[in-house]
Amino acid sequence: MTGKKILIVDDDPHLLLGLTAKLKANGYEVTCATDALSAITVARKEAPDLVILDLGLPAGDGFLVLERMRRLADLVATPVIVLSARDPTDNKKRALDAGAVAFFQKPPDSHEFLSEIRQALGEEMALSSFLKT
Amino acid sequence: MTSEPSGRVDASEYPPAAGPIPFRRMEKNWGVDLSPGLRADLLDFTAWGEILTMYGRTMKVAVALTNSQGQILGKCHNEQPVWKLVRDASPGWAAGCPFCITTGLPCTAVADALQTGVTVMVRDQAGLTHVAVPLSLGEQPLGAIIAGQVFDRYPESLLLRRVAKEFGVSAQRLWDLASRQRPVSQGILQTSGDLLRSLGDAFLRQRYSSILEEQLAETNGRFRLLVEEVRDYALFTMDPTGRVTSWNGGAERMLGYLEAEIVGQNFSCFFSPDDIQNLVPEKQLRKALEAGEAKDEGWRVRENREQFWADVSITALLEHVGPFGGFAIVMQDVTDRKRIAIVLEEARQERTRLQEKFLSHVSHELRTPLTAIYFFVTNVLDGVLGDLTPEQREHLTFALDNVNQLKDMVSDLLDITRVETHKLIVEPRQASPVKLIAEAISTCGTNAATKNISLRFQAAPDLPLVWADPVRVRQILINLIDNGIKFTPESGTLTVACRPFAEDDGFVCLSVSDTGCGISPANREIIFDRLAQIKSGSGASRSGLGLGLFIARELVSGHGGRIWVESQQGHGSTFYFTLPVFSLAKLCSPIFTVPNLEAGSVTLITVDVVPVEGTVHADIALEIRRVLERCIHPGQDVLLPSMSGAEPVQTFFIVACTDPRGFEVIANRIGRELRTFDKDSRLKPVISSTTLLVTPDRSREEQIGEVTAGIERVVQAHPMAKERLQ
Repeated sequence: MTGKKILIVDDDPHLLLGLTAKLKANGYEVTCATDALSAITVARKEAPDLVILDLGLPAGDGFLVLERMRRLADLVATPVIVLSARDPTDNKKRALDAGAVAFFQKPPDSHEFLSEIRQALGEEMALSSFLKT
Repeated sequence: MTSEPSGRVDASEYPPAAGPIPFRRMEKNWGVDLSPGLRADLLDFTAWGEILTMYGRTMKVAVALTNSQGQILGKCHNEQPVWKLVRDASPGWAAGCPFCITTGLPCTAVADALQTGVTVMVRDQAGLTHVAVPLSLGEQPLGAIIAGQVFDRYPESLLLRRVAKEFGVSAQRLWDLASRQRPVSQGILQTSGDLLRSLGDAFLRQRYSSILEEQLAETNGRFRLLVEEVRDYALFTMDPTGRVTSWNGGAERMLGYLEAEIVGQNFSCFFSPDDIQNLVPEKQLRKALEAGEAKDEGWRVRENREQFWADVSITALLEHVGPFGGFAIVMQDVTDRKRIAIVLEEARQERTRLQEKFLSHVSHELRTPLTAIYFFVTNVLDGVLGDLTPEQREHLTFALDNVNQLKDMVSDLLDITRVETHKLIVEPRQASPVKLIAEAISTCGTNAATKNISLRFQAAPDLPLVWADPVRVRQILINLIDNGIKFTPESGTLTVACRPFAEDDGFVCLSVSDTGCGISPANREIIFDRLAQIKSGSGASRSGLGLGLFIARELVSGHGGRIWVESQQGHGSTFYFTLPVFSLAKLCSPIFTVPNLEAGSVTLITVDVVPVEGTVHADIALEIRRVLERCIHPGQDVLLPSMSGAEPVQTFFIVACTDPRGFEVIANRIGRELRTFDKDSRLKPVISSTTLLVTPDRSREEQIGEVTAGIERVVQAHPMAKERLQ
């Protein structure tokens, strides 16, 4: 159990359920938000270590969430992984420019996705340095 | 003595005829066959009659004109009473020679004269002599002039009697008729032949040129009439400066100016003010002068300022046509056609836009539920909900396979829209075909393993790098390999191979061979078509949306290669496709099409991108490339590909340009654009330049060689390249 807290922002309840189960099974604590407004509220309240963010959201899209987070001192350092159904050719660079650490198109490859999460949380580094010693 | 009548003189019976009179043939060879109409026109007796009559009167001979078949075309002066007699007596006379008092056989004088091209003198059975003078234009015989000796005397009373008997008149009557004629000596007739020869030639030539003149005048008249009558086209001419010199009815109707108003005005008044400002009229005249003709479609302006869409063709007139040369313009008002085309194009774009929107929406909407299914299935497979029985695991694995298939289909749908909206972009770079195949094989490995299919890889040694988009080539390969796996029975073999393309050394050929059921010849034709899904009974339950090979074909042709299949039914199939070999010389070739290379140098602008921290992300590198592409003159300057070996993240870029003054402009533009692109100054670009001297008098190939060698030197000397090569 790593005990790290991840906030998933997505408006699809089944996706939330499935991803929550997957992340919990990998030892993470999970909290959810289903629109752009509550995303910020929940993020400020829960102070997650990582945010998994959808782009198409009710009440403003994911880019809005990214921008707001970058302006808030308590959220500016929180890594964000974008997980969206949108076409990466148009949206990947925009997301990375807006401060996301990675962009995955739905559905992501499970292993790659988890590996990216670990990297963003600084866990993979720790593991590799452990292996070297 | 022969009793047989003969058209020709028999030397043993009659005094010898004068030999053929040699003459000078006309030099010019008339290559074109004269038409029957022109022949008749040339020998029109109403034209010839006067001169021949005059000649006959002067020379005291009878003259006739015949065509090439020897038929008499016109009446002659001084018609001999004997002829009339003979004609009256013999109805078939018309085809005979009026100068021969013979029966039965035709006179061959005209035929001989035309065949030999010389003047032929003949004496008939009655002792009458006549000459046939050939008339020909070049090699083409037209007819003859016959000049006949007026009766001298019948040499023998026996002959006189015989002839008289044959025509059924009394010998006395014949004698009376004949003796009224005035004798002409043979010598005179011979001179007469020479004279006639010259006269005939001269008059024939005169006749010929006057006919041509008549025809030309008629054509001109018809043409003028035609030009003026044409209503649907504006036809007008201009002097070399573009001032109107002639104007037809169609032009008046189309452009609204009367001839009197427009002649002398510059044709730029038919253009919009924008076109005039952009020197469009001048450019068109220059193009017409250079190429002989300029075609254009565009908006033009009528006298009442109304715009219309015109199809225009400007032809440069050669100087010998008019005193100063100039231009002829044909203009058609195709506004209606254009309007329809615009409406159709708008409708097509709207349809494509809606289709793209719909497909992109569908693909987007499919992805979210697909993701939920994917998460649930992988969670259960990962044992999140507890242990699974082997059967449960098997079923869930099938479910996962199907989810992955659905995911690929959704991606294909999006690619199809991209093909149709021309957004399926191939971004080639240097790539190792071996590496690309190895990656594709490793991706498809699991898939092959589940069917116990062995995946083999055969690569020819020393394969060159290809100029291809790695992502797209992997997509093509994975598509072909997955297809192969689908159609190959369990424990089969799939071979991916790569070798130089035998037909064209500018390409390498990649192939995927399976040991499946093969493809019938009919299916081989349609297999690359959109939605071509081959029904097969070989246990392949489903073959996707049938878009895979269509997309593969589009991707291969986007690379400039081609794709095809060879197959023997029951013995498997082999799919081949070609990719262009990377060639620095080929990439550099646009530089050498620029005329000002005579300045003798190519400047390389190196742009180093050194990020403040970390490395340049591949996507950012691609964006930088696009920025640089915008800064150069396309088709003149070249943005070189990553020169640092395989295909890692690019960190320095080289632009080759030829204009010795232009490179600073380009370098400044690059600096400006990169600053706009990199607002946060994270990239710290450094721009430097190197000048390569080119030997001006060398051949193009040698110059390309000099430049590519120079580029390679610069690349090798670059610190980042060194670092990467190690």
